[in-house]
Amino acid sequence: MKTAALDTPVITDADFQKFREFFYRKTGIQFDDGKRYFVDKRLIERIEATGSDNFRQYFVGLRFETKGEELQALVNAMTVNETYFFREQYQFECLVNSMMDEVASRRKAGQRIRIWSIPSSTGEEPYSIAIYLLERWPRINDYDVEILSSDIDTQVLQSAQRGLYTPRSIANLPKPYLNKYFKEQKDGQWLISRDLVDAVEFSRVNLSDVNDTRKFRDIDVIFCRNLLIYFDDLSRRMAAEAMFDALRPGGFVCLGHSESMSRISSLFTVRRFPDAMVYQKPLEGGA
Amino acid sequence: MGLKKTSDNVGLRKIAARDYGRDGHGLLEQLQDPDVSTRRWAARDLVQHPNLMRELCERLPQEPELSVREVMFTTLSQVGGAAVVSGLLPLLRSEDANLRNGAIETLSGLPDEVAGSIDGLLKDSDVDVRIFTLNLLGDLRHPRVVEWLGQALRLDAHVNVVAAALEVAAEVGSDALLPAVKSARARFASDPFIGFAADLAEQRIQGS
Repeated sequence: MKTAALDTPVITDADFQKFREFFYRKTGIQFDDGKRYFVDKRLIERIEATGSDNFRQYFVGLRFETKGEELQALVNAMTVNETYFFREQYQFECLVNSMMDEVASRRKAGQRIRIWSIPSSTGEEPYSIAIYLLERWPRINDYDVEILSSDIDTQVLQSAQRGLYTPRSIANLPKPYLNKYFKEQKDGQWLISRDLVDAVEFSRVNLSDVNDTRKFRDIDVIFCRNLLIYFDDLSRRMAAEAMFDALRPGGFVCLGHSESMSRISSLFTVRRFPDAMVYQKPLEGGA
Repeated sequence: MGLKKTSDNVGLRKIAARDYGRDGHGLLEQLQDPDVSTRRWAARDLVQHPNLMRELCERLPQEPELSVREVMFTTLSQVGGAAVVSGLLPLLRSEDANLRNGAIETLSGLPDEVAGSIDGLLKDSDVDVRIFTLNLLGDLRHPRVVEWLGQALRLDAHVNVVAAALEVAAEVGSDALLPAVKSARARFASDPFIGFAADLAEQRIQGS
């Protein structure tokens, strides 16, 4: 259906319901009624971009296209690629309150614990992990903790190593941490401490490319949040398998709040900690 | 202690020459290695040997470890092609649900390759194979899905197959299926479940 005046496609309640169920099945992302305007706007954009006459025609094309290109375009339109310090903080709480202690219990003092943050994006996540460990994990000085961080985009890796952030990016940081680890610049941006930059090993990695990922091993905790939603089913499975082989037995994976490993792969088991639910490589059988 | 950077990459796996371009038949042998990780890596690296997919399919029922099987299915999905389809179709008859579901999921990702087999599968003498084929159609992105579903709804003689077809029809939601749904209801007029499933399919298709 199109409006006569503006020739703009209309999304009916039934269309929205049908789309919402389909999108959830494909991505695990659930839109509630409050997101109706957001969803309608982007759906209409995609209907117009593909030259479809109406929702029904677009939806049939979406369901039966062989290559999944339009689904990918739709996922990109429906997800907001934004990051900031201490985003989805409950998982960092889980890291310092539960996961690190469990990992350390299997390691002697002085041994190495390795964390991999992918995608690095512009560095907010790996630096948040570093700050959390330094500030909130009491046993940080008993172990060598390595933070590896990777992204497919070399420009964002360079930006991460520059460590310059907008006020919006650091808005969620507690003031004492901001003062301790950042310096305000004349232009209002904030420069992160070189000590933190030097503590993170950045590298370019395509998580779907086995030749990129095979060199990662003995990882204890992987943060891979809000990345797999951009992948198609097969690439998601390949990424999950790459993470499985990169982890030590008993290692953990943290995904974004709208992502579910159970929908991607049966390799991992679910672990429910007080702060968060994460995924774990079994201690036995998967070595 | 504390945070430490691995600037010399000592933390990363050193890539031995054997890790790349490994001999295909050597990889097939490694699929029988007692070490699970070795078998998983062999299954993954076989992606570079598309000519060995038949052998990889044959190995699937013998592989006891699910994490290895999962990688085997991923490799088969990546490579695709006629050998993968013909190697996986026999698994639709397997008693092992994991194998069967893995085969259905992999085949559903190969729409162009599997399309040529669907007509035959929908006429298979085994009712379960016809039902699994309909499960496959539910996830298959192919322009003939509606036609195949219509065929099962109008022609299949087994009530369980028609019930499965109605379930998939409700999900696919194409107007073109409405006459076939009506036909299925008429053919099994005395079966209350078919009536219920047909009502549901019509409601979903009409968007009410």
